Amino acid sequence: MAELIINKVDKIYRSRKGDVHAVKALDLTVKPGEIVALLGSSGCGKTSTLRMIAGFEDVTNGTISLGGKAIHTLAPAARGVAMAFEAYSLYPPLTIGENMSFALKASKLPQAEQEKRVKAMAEMLEIADILNKYPSSVSGGQQQRASLGRALVRDAGLYLLDEPMGQLEPQLRAVLRGRIKHYLREHKCTTILVTHDQTEANALADRIAVMEGGVLQQYATPAELKARPANLFTGTFIGEPPMNVFNAEVKSNAEQVSFVVEGGTTLSYPAAQMSESLRQALGKTSRIALGIRPHALHLGEGPVKGKVVACQWLGDQTHVAVDVAGRTVVSVSQERVSRAPGSDVALNVAARDLHLFDPASGNAIAHGGQPA
Amino acid sequence: MTQLSITSLSKSYGSFKVFDGLNLEAKAGEIVVIFGGSGTGKTILLRLIAGVEEPSSGVIAIGGHDVSDIAPEHRGVGMAFQNFALFPHLSAAENIATPLRAAGAAEDKVKAGVNKVAKLLKIDHVLTHAPRELSNGQKQRTALARALAAEPQILLLDDPLRNVDAKLRFEMRLELPRLLRQSGATVLYVTQDYKEAMALADRIAVLAGGKFVQTATPEDIYMRPATLGVARLFGDPSINTAETSLEADGAGVHVTLGGTRVQVAADYKAHAGEAVTFGVRPESVDVSADSGLAAEVVAVTPLNERTVLLLQTPSGWEFLASLPSSAADIPEPGAKVFARFAEAGTHIFDRQTGERLHG
Repeated sequence: MAELIINKVDKIYRSRKGDVHAVKALDLTVKPGEIVALLGSSGCGKTSTLRMIAGFEDVTNGTISLGGKAIHTLAPAARGVAMAFEAYSLYPPLTIGENMSFALKASKLPQAEQEKRVKAMAEMLEIADILNKYPSSVSGGQQQRASLGRALVRDAGLYLLDEPMGQLEPQLRAVLRGRIKHYLREHKCTTILVTHDQTEANALADRIAVMEGGVLQQYATPAELKARPANLFTGTFIGEPPMNVFNAEVKSNAEQVSFVVEGGTTLSYPAAQMSESLRQALGKTSRIALGIRPHALHLGEGPVKGKVVACQWLGDQTHVAVDVAGRTVVSVSQERVSRAPGSDVALNVAARDLHLFDPASGNAIAHGGQPA
Repeated sequence: MTQLSITSLSKSYGSFKVFDGLNLEAKAGEIVVIFGGSGTGKTILLRLIAGVEEPSSGVIAIGGHDVSDIAPEHRGVGMAFQNFALFPHLSAAENIATPLRAAGAAEDKVKAGVNKVAKLLKIDHVLTHAPRELSNGQKQRTALARALAAEPQILLLDDPLRNVDAKLRFEMRLELPRLLRQSGATVLYVTQDYKEAMALADRIAVLAGGKFVQTATPEDIYMRPATLGVARLFGDPSINTAETSLEADGAGVHVTLGGTRVQVAADYKAHAGEAVTFGVRPESVDVSADSGLAAEVVAVTPLNERTVLLLQTPSGWEFLASLPSSAADIPEPGAKVFARFAEAGTHIFDRQTGERLHG
């Protein structure tokens, strides 16, 4: 259990075609025992960051320390870091069991203890029945679990998990997420997982570092990211289905604050639902980007009028797409609803569910009637 | 009116039987989703209907006529593939025009046909582009446009959203039903994504082990799965299961889960004494009760707008509960709770055959 501090780290890949600035002035602290997800789409810099922490890439600028010790100049094996690779990287001539116990060889643990640990880990990951098989004879999902097991079975100051669950069988994934989260907590493992899958990041992480274009966009708990996105990028990136965003004009007076949305719909709220400081801030701007999450857009009465494009029930929720003045907005209900395509509907959204952004910079202005 | 009918259709390669005795009927304009894992023969079924492969036995009829002796291009079938399969040397317009030209349409008809379908799919602004100049979404729309261009009676779509990113897949999932209905074609749509299947289908045909194990509306598939296998394929997280047996006494009918007796609907009485698999969907597990099955919360994993709890009974049975994240009082890890199971999401299956028992 150790604290990881990434301090002003840059990664620049030099080449004759020009330099690629993959990670830009990254500051990130992971507390002892904390589970942090680096989340972003491909090319956002998350994997470069992971590889610099592991020691497979040099840092161009900045420092990385683990448990108070600078590690960015050490060889990978000297860093006290255990890693599960996206491509599994299991040793082909060793069985699944040998792959897992290989990680314990250097540990000086008694043989019996090593075996006990491997067995317990294999049971947790549901691979106890394939310990005698070779990697090439098991499925991708099983190899991925073996790779994860090989990393977690070790004692390490830091665990790095690269897309650890992408290939897992859907029927197992949810249970394994729960078991792995429980294991990491019980053993107080300081963990960084890299993923492009926000579901996985939300499920496992205490905090999520959202990256885009080599820049850390926001570092916050899953609940904060949802409720208070720092900018339009995070707002639209986090949340499934994605946030509906409208260009709108602000019109306010002493009694109410109104947003005139492109296409003509006007959303009006009593001024009391917006804080004084927000109203002052809004007084200076006329145009905003208005974000409304699909789960906060409710079918029923309301000022937003449109025609149903599709109404799709998925078992535990219903997605309703509505054409509002030529554009499709999405409403999600946790209940089962049925609306015929083509039928007229009205939608409403509460002031507490509005996200306001500056359309030029993308930075958040307000969430739920309070300044951001 | 039945537009497509498949009767006793079998296909083998040497001694390897892909499927045996498939039966399926689709009405004009109906969207039937063929759902199954990889290797279940979904694509082969489409190829047989298209006529690019021959069945080992059985009959395929389109519009009431056996099409065994009809060449692919004269069957009135359009097809789009997961890898788009656009001709790289032809523009988007020429790609879309191929089925019209193959049918010998006059030049003005070809032009009109291409423009009409391109407009419908919102790619009329990229018609002169070569495939390499198109985004993945545009490629996918071009492939769809080509399949629709000759106004086929039957449209075969082979996992068309597989190779597009999640955002586009979601948008297309909302948009496709309207497009498909406008085309008027009878659609067979292959996918491995249960959400796509439920969202798009009038009916879903679940292909497993060389057979359609259930062909029914999304509602029936989800609420009344024919087998444990079907129940497991639909839902995320998937259905919780436990092997147990049904017992009946004066107090009613019950199963034993993690050492605790749990009451089930009295209608199961006819099956008392039978070895069964008990199943309950995570969203049908209520953990706010003050009595019921005692369990401890092992982990809390928030998934977007729902939160999934991993629970364990004192005797070690693990199960999941899925609650709206907005629910009041979501328990913390380590909390002791009582679970109750809503009848609508509770299913009991014969342990031998996997078939759902009718309570």
